[in-house]
Amino acid sequence: MALNYLASISHYVPELILCLTMAGLILIESAYDRGVKGSAKGMMYWGAYLGLLCSFVYLFKALGTEPLQIFTRSIVIDSFGTLAKMIMVLGTAGAIFLGRQSLDIYEEVKSEFVILTIGVLIGGMLLVSANNMLLFYIGIETLSILSYVMASLKKNDERSSEAGLKYSLYGGVTAGLMLFGMSHIFGVLGTIQFTEIIPAMAALTKAQALVLMPAFLLFFVGIGYKIACVPFHMWSPDVYEGSPLPVTNFFSIVPKIAGIVAFVRVTNTFFGGDASIVRETWVVLLMIASALTMTVGNVAAIGQRSVKRMLAYSSISHAGVMMLGVLVIDDLGARAILFYAVTYLFMTLAAFFITSFVQDHYGNDHFERFNGLMKKHPLMSIVMVIVMFSLAGLPPLSGFVAKFNILAAVVSKKYYVLAVIAALNSVVSLYYYMKVVRLMVFKDAESDEPVKGFIFSNQVVITVIALPVLLLGVFWEKLIVIAGGAKIFLQ
Amino acid sequence: MSGHSNLLSWILWMPIIGVLGTLLIPRTKETMIRVWSLLNTVITMALTAVLYMKFDQTLPGMQQALTEKYAWIKQFNIFYHLAVDGISLPMILLTALLFFICILSSWTVKKQVKAYFALLLFLQSTVFGVFMAMDFFLFYVYWEVMLIPMFFLIGIWGGENREYAAVKFFLYTFFGSILMLVGMVALYFVTGQGVDSFNILALSGGKFTNTTVEIFGMVLPFAKIFFVALFIGFAIKVPVFPFHTWLPHAHVQAPTAISVILAGVLLKMGTYGFLRIAFPIFPSASVYFADAIAWLGLINVIYGAFCAMAQNDVKKLVAYSSVSHMGFVMLGLAAMTVQGMNGAVLQMFNHGTSTAMMFLLIGILYERSHHRWIVRPDGTKGFGGLYTQLPKYSIVFIIAMFASMGLPGLSGFISEALIFLGIYSKFTTITVLAVIGLLLGAAYLLWMFKRMFFGEVIEECKSYTDMNAREIFYMTPLCIAVIVFGVYPAPLLNMMKASVGKLVSLLATF
Repeated sequence: MALNYLASISHYVPELILCLTMAGLILIESAYDRGVKGSAKGMMYWGAYLGLLCSFVYLFKALGTEPLQIFTRSIVIDSFGTLAKMIMVLGTAGAIFLGRQSLDIYEEVKSEFVILTIGVLIGGMLLVSANNMLLFYIGIETLSILSYVMASLKKNDERSSEAGLKYSLYGGVTAGLMLFGMSHIFGVLGTIQFTEIIPAMAALTKAQALVLMPAFLLFFVGIGYKIACVPFHMWSPDVYEGSPLPVTNFFSIVPKIAGIVAFVRVTNTFFGGDASIVRETWVVLLMIASALTMTVGNVAAIGQRSVKRMLAYSSISHAGVMMLGVLVIDDLGARAILFYAVTYLFMTLAAFFITSFVQDHYGNDHFERFNGLMKKHPLMSIVMVIVMFSLAGLPPLSGFVAKFNILAAVVSKKYYVLAVIAALNSVVSLYYYMKVVRLMVFKDAESDEPVKGFIFSNQVVITVIALPVLLLGVFWEKLIVIAGGAKIFLQ
Repeated sequence: MSGHSNLLSWILWMPIIGVLGTLLIPRTKETMIRVWSLLNTVITMALTAVLYMKFDQTLPGMQQALTEKYAWIKQFNIFYHLAVDGISLPMILLTALLFFICILSSWTVKKQVKAYFALLLFLQSTVFGVFMAMDFFLFYVYWEVMLIPMFFLIGIWGGENREYAAVKFFLYTFFGSILMLVGMVALYFVTGQGVDSFNILALSGGKFTNTTVEIFGMVLPFAKIFFVALFIGFAIKVPVFPFHTWLPHAHVQAPTAISVILAGVLLKMGTYGFLRIAFPIFPSASVYFADAIAWLGLINVIYGAFCAMAQNDVKKLVAYSSVSHMGFVMLGLAAMTVQGMNGAVLQMFNHGTSTAMMFLLIGILYERSHHRWIVRPDGTKGFGGLYTQLPKYSIVFIIAMFASMGLPGLSGFISEALIFLGIYSKFTTITVLAVIGLLLGAAYLLWMFKRMFFGEVIEECKSYTDMNAREIFYMTPLCIAVIVFGVYPAPLLNMMKASVGKLVSLLATF
């Protein structure tokens, strides 16, 4: 059902709230002097949280309603996208909280960080609800351009500048390739509207379908770059390392989830309908890409000295696992991805939160800094242990259930070899996640003095973040029902 | 089909109540923590005794009156499904007994007492979970969760090289179980995601004999492929050669109580997996691979015995003797005859008691000597003439040693004899060769005994004190068990007969 502009606006409230929030924050930021502490700063954060909360509430209300196409069918509002947006809003709120604590972001750019995260979030929301290729492109660019700025937020740091430059160069090239691919697709199919693609694909002759193949490949370059899938992942370790830690945290949640979710929509749009040779080839390509992504991410993570860099590589491998849910091209895969995204959000937030604190406390985030943390700060260490085991996929934690769902989706299509590769990869990942646990619990620190400065509010937040990691491992029925109900609107 | 009694749940969750209790007690009140844990295991033991009373020995298969089944995740048809039969009951009894003894033997643990007892009780609950779960998903969850307390128990309270041992143990077993996970999910989809897709009991019976699976265009038999996946998972736990290399490290580095649990219960989970999952679900493939299993079992017997003979560290010697003895269990399983299977299950129980004794005794000695060398690396004797110094200790040691050697009149003999009876008709060559393993077993144990207990009393040993009352107290039940079940194994055999018979007759049809 298509709606007129005025009616459309009422269904676009969550995004509009965020736009207003962003504008309001810019006003607050410019109305006060830089470096002013206290009320002005507090207003920034509370304003941001308020905006995110309102947006979240509206998204929640929209969950489960009939799918709609708004703004002359250029944007689709369906439960699949809405749930993904909710996850991203939560991720942004977490990133903003971490950004306030972290010393890695200079005091004078803290408000910029907040504004930029909300900007990226808007881009991500646009991307996951895009209903034609142009808007898809605009979404991915909004997401990217603001990300380039965020990567180089540490202005005086060479590596941060390098990260920003690398990110933008890579981003520019891949965006160009993607646009080129899109123009080819338009040339063959005669439409840019996602909802018209399934019938258009069905009407193609075999030769025409084959011509589409390179175009898809180019299209894939753009998305693959965004989710850091091998072989388009080269930028990610350097960018993740160079960026300030809260930015890295944000990058490994919001743009990644937005990219994956958009990828699911696109793949289902193009290949959901037919079982032709094009689909087969595409699936094989994705299989190879995802197997490589998982393996490269994991193997590279083993040798890292910095925990942040290890988490960056491991997020590559998690993207590979989520791609398994993409390549099955069905509802089971989409459900598994949404579930995975929720658990991944909490695990990543908690892991980065603790790493950030350790980095601020000791000056760097090398593995040795975690030595004997169990004695120095039991709560923090227990949360970290839970999160690490969950990331590795051990029951009864939510990471296991997420992995189980993905494996189930893969095995349901009888891709046994791929399932075994994914399974073996989680053994590899256990090795380096366990390293953190081992250092915290088994090693003795240089000094036994308890860690101070992890204030009460932080302890509460970290517990609240860790609870879903524990609880979703046992009581996951509700979430799987919600994720299963979030269907993709295709035509 | 929900249960009439929640007895199994009580047994399963009682140790968790214990964990919560230990967490509430302040860390400085160490004695209180110990007493509370002990009390908890006593209650658990009492509950398992009730379970034994309620158990109807004439029934093959699961005891309906004790079964509990509640929906857990409806979307995937996963159930909280607990049940017992004659194969799992001896293991549950053994678990309850050994944990009680381990709490007593851990009285001397000084480091982080609170965490130690909490983890130990948590481990007990997960072990019960493995032996009770009849839902494959639930089984898998318990199977994996068990690794977490083990990892910490070895890694924090272990010997010098504990970290390496803990990591190796963790990675190895995780590798095995993750293959099992793929197999489990595959079964779920092959059976059509129905209500019984994770139900171990409903999956069994050879439904997948003619199912095929396509990998890279090759059409392969489903049963054989996934039997191998499950086999690797269970074989690592047993451990079957060549997957045994984690075991000596884990055993040597683990603290005494954990070695006892590891050898006494955890290794049995591997063979229990064969009996409960791999054999019943894929009977055709089991029969197909029976020869291979038997040969691997034989390698375990001989190779384990030779390795044991070469050890200078007495704990490592016993660890390798476990490899050898678990080989007998594998032989009994591979026979797939009534005597062989019964012998295997009996051996699982008997090895649990006798090896537990050996490890406990080594732990007792270690507390006095702080080393375990039979011969030190520099060639001097580590122990000598213990027999004259520690008479009580020596008597208990002799009982344990002869039980583990399989001397007639003690428990090991019955089970090994049954296994040999069972396999002779099927694998004559293997039987003959396995008897050599028995001989080797006698050789390394007696040789070890001679070097440690006879001969000159070396200076160091003169200061050792004999076993104290607590140590005698916790060794007594095990001594009674090996002697009583050596003379009169009927209670155990009656318990398992019907269930084992059911499995054997299933396998006989393929």
